[in-house]
Amino acid sequence: MKSISLFEEKHSFLNGLSPETKLLYVVVAIAFPALVGGTVPQLAIMLLSIALLAGSKILTKSKPIIAVSGFVLLTVVIVQTFFRGGAYTELFRIGPLVARREGFDYSLGIVLNVFNIIFAFCVFVLATKPSDMMQSMVRRGISPRLGYVFVSLFQIIPQMTEHTSTITDAQRSRGMQTEGSLGTRVRAFLPLISPVIMSSFTDTRERSIALEVRGFNSHERKTFLDEFVPSSADRPVRIALLALLTLGVAFFVLRIVGVVSWPR
Amino acid sequence: MSSKREGSPWSLKLNTASLVLIPAAIGINYVGKLFASMLKLPLWLDSIGTCLSACMAGPVVGALSGFLTNVIYGLTMDPISTVYGLTQAGIGIAVGLMAWYGHMRKAPGILVAGLVAGLVAVCISTPLNMAFWGGSTGNVWGDAAFAAMGSQGFLASAVDEIIVDLPDKIVVLFITAGIYKVLPKSLISLYQAKDESLD
Amino acid sequence: MAQIEVRNLKYRYPDAKRLALDDVSCQIERGEFVGVIGRNGAGKSTFTQALLGLVPNFYHGAYGGSVTIDGQNVRESSVDELCRKVGLVFQNPFNQVTGSKLTVYEEIAFGLENFGVPPKEMRRRIDAAMELLDIAQYKDRAPFDLSGGQMQRMALAGIIVMEPEVIVMDEPTSQLDPQGSEDVFRAVDVLRAQGKTIVMVEHKIEKIAAYSDRVMLLDEGRLVAMDTPRAIFSRDDLAEHGVVAPTYTQICRQLGVRSADGLYPVTLEETRSLLGAGGRGGEVR
Repeated sequence: MKSISLFEEKHSFLNGLSPETKLLYVVVAIAFPALVGGTVPQLAIMLLSIALLAGSKILTKSKPIIAVSGFVLLTVVIVQTFFRGGAYTELFRIGPLVARREGFDYSLGIVLNVFNIIFAFCVFVLATKPSDMMQSMVRRGISPRLGYVFVSLFQIIPQMTEHTSTITDAQRSRGMQTEGSLGTRVRAFLPLISPVIMSSFTDTRERSIALEVRGFNSHERKTFLDEFVPSSADRPVRIALLALLTLGVAFFVLRIVGVVSWPR
Repeated sequence: MSSKREGSPWSLKLNTASLVLIPAAIGINYVGKLFASMLKLPLWLDSIGTCLSACMAGPVVGALSGFLTNVIYGLTMDPISTVYGLTQAGIGIAVGLMAWYGHMRKAPGILVAGLVAGLVAVCISTPLNMAFWGGSTGNVWGDAAFAAMGSQGFLASAVDEIIVDLPDKIVVLFITAGIYKVLPKSLISLYQAKDESLD
Repeated sequence: MAQIEVRNLKYRYPDAKRLALDDVSCQIERGEFVGVIGRNGAGKSTFTQALLGLVPNFYHGAYGGSVTIDGQNVRESSVDELCRKVGLVFQNPFNQVTGSKLTVYEEIAFGLENFGVPPKEMRRRIDAAMELLDIAQYKDRAPFDLSGGQMQRMALAGIIVMEPEVIVMDEPTSQLDPQGSEDVFRAVDVLRAQGKTIVMVEHKIEKIAAYSDRVMLLDEGRLVAMDTPRAIFSRDDLAEHGVVAPTYTQICRQLGVRSADGLYPVTLEETRSLLGAGGRGGEVR
């Protein structure tokens, strides 16, 4: 049984940073370009994220994430390029469809924004152990019980999805049709999902008892077997990120007031 | 489904059983999505767990189940889906309240609950779609309508989302109500029963 | 005063019509091994859960009478207070895994973390428990990757690190293969030798006969009798209560072999000594 967490311990620079610092990185990566405006900061931060991932040898692990969003982005590009309303400049034609420069440019903005967010997120997700995220949350005052719920998800979900193929095979062997007309397929849904629901709810009751008898509701201050200790780089990195964020906010305010402007 | 219950639906005193229900609900959301795509159904069916937990343990547990479903999805597959946790939380709250006030027992009530949940989803998701994806949803039928309406503007985006969400939520709630009805009483009592004395 | 005192315990699950426990009273002494037997639905599991106050604090429902552990009424205590004194292990090892830990070692630490035990002390207790239950070799494995028997011993380790004086086990081997069961029973031997009070529900009647100081026979929520294994298994009405006596008892009953007090033996050793040292005991094997 495995965890669905994408984390892998590489003892890298990113692994040494605290979860809070990496989360702050995500916030800055999204907020800074938004505050400053223009595509250059966005592109710069995206490249920084990619460099950080490569430096920690986890860039390849971002592939599945890129694939999922990449597909949606493809549909966005198509929908915007060929169908965006208003006046347009023709790029090319495919049959009756006109590719429009305005729509295409607009969709590129979306693509860049999404990729920036994804890579920044990967810096956090691929380099942070779920239980360390939980430790940070609990130390910041989130209930340890909710912390438990969060961490347990990484193992309990794959446990449940692993059963699905067994159930599918079992129901098929009883003659259930899982292919054919829409009606047939709709009818197959309930017999497939109900066993999962029933067994998981029964498990829930037993697991609650198992947790209760191990002090789950204890009011003591929780301790951790393996306390996460951030590397010495954590503080300077966090200060730098906060500085960058402050800079962005300052620039934003000055721009609103009209003191500076960004050459677009 | 019990009729209107006592106390406040917003009670934040989560017992262990309610908390452990959350991972189970999220797992059910995942499995629902998995089966729906395996059967190539034109619906998501990825909020059955959220709705069931909301019926069983109230809007707070429903909201947490919904929100964390997307957080976990965001942390393992699709970062941007994290923000749609707000949508799932909204669905959990809506369904939790509908069930609390006893609207999940008969077909008309379930239909209304489905419409409410669907509209809540549309209201929260549409601005998010606009902010992150330029207004589209990634669903073929919805995006076709969006494209036909000029691929821009709040209205077109809302229509896109309505086409995706409304039928889905109605179906999900009928499935939820059906399953809830056959759940063992002893299970539901962990969340809803009261104590009495035999002395 | 006995360590565990149960007085007129009555309980009905929510939405149930029948009482799951009906006026059960008993006392269990410190260091005693009490086996609990009876047919399915006799109230055995409910009884074990009442010892930790899970009935009624977790299940809700209708409750009467009292259970006290060292004078502390379980009804008025929370489960997290009680579980320092009373540990519970139950049937399904899978559902006792918290799901929040990536290694067996961390998994065993779960309860200690909740109680705020310092990490150094945690490690001391976990190492000792793993040694005791012979699972030290699995410490870095993923909890869900263990076999049933290994998993059940991990669950037991997660309980004994909390150093409870009483350990309650509800059919701990019913879902395990023979090897897994044997491993768990070896662990029970060790705990018994340590002088822990143990209350065990178990269908493997030979084990109950061999281990128990006293046996509780439950039926339809009522305590039919609580006595030594020999007294319980010598009863004529066992079948009426859905219980089968140990093989040695059955054989001796057939043969009319009983000791001076009129009771039948329940274990091989007792049978052997009763049949005399003339070597005939060996044939009863």
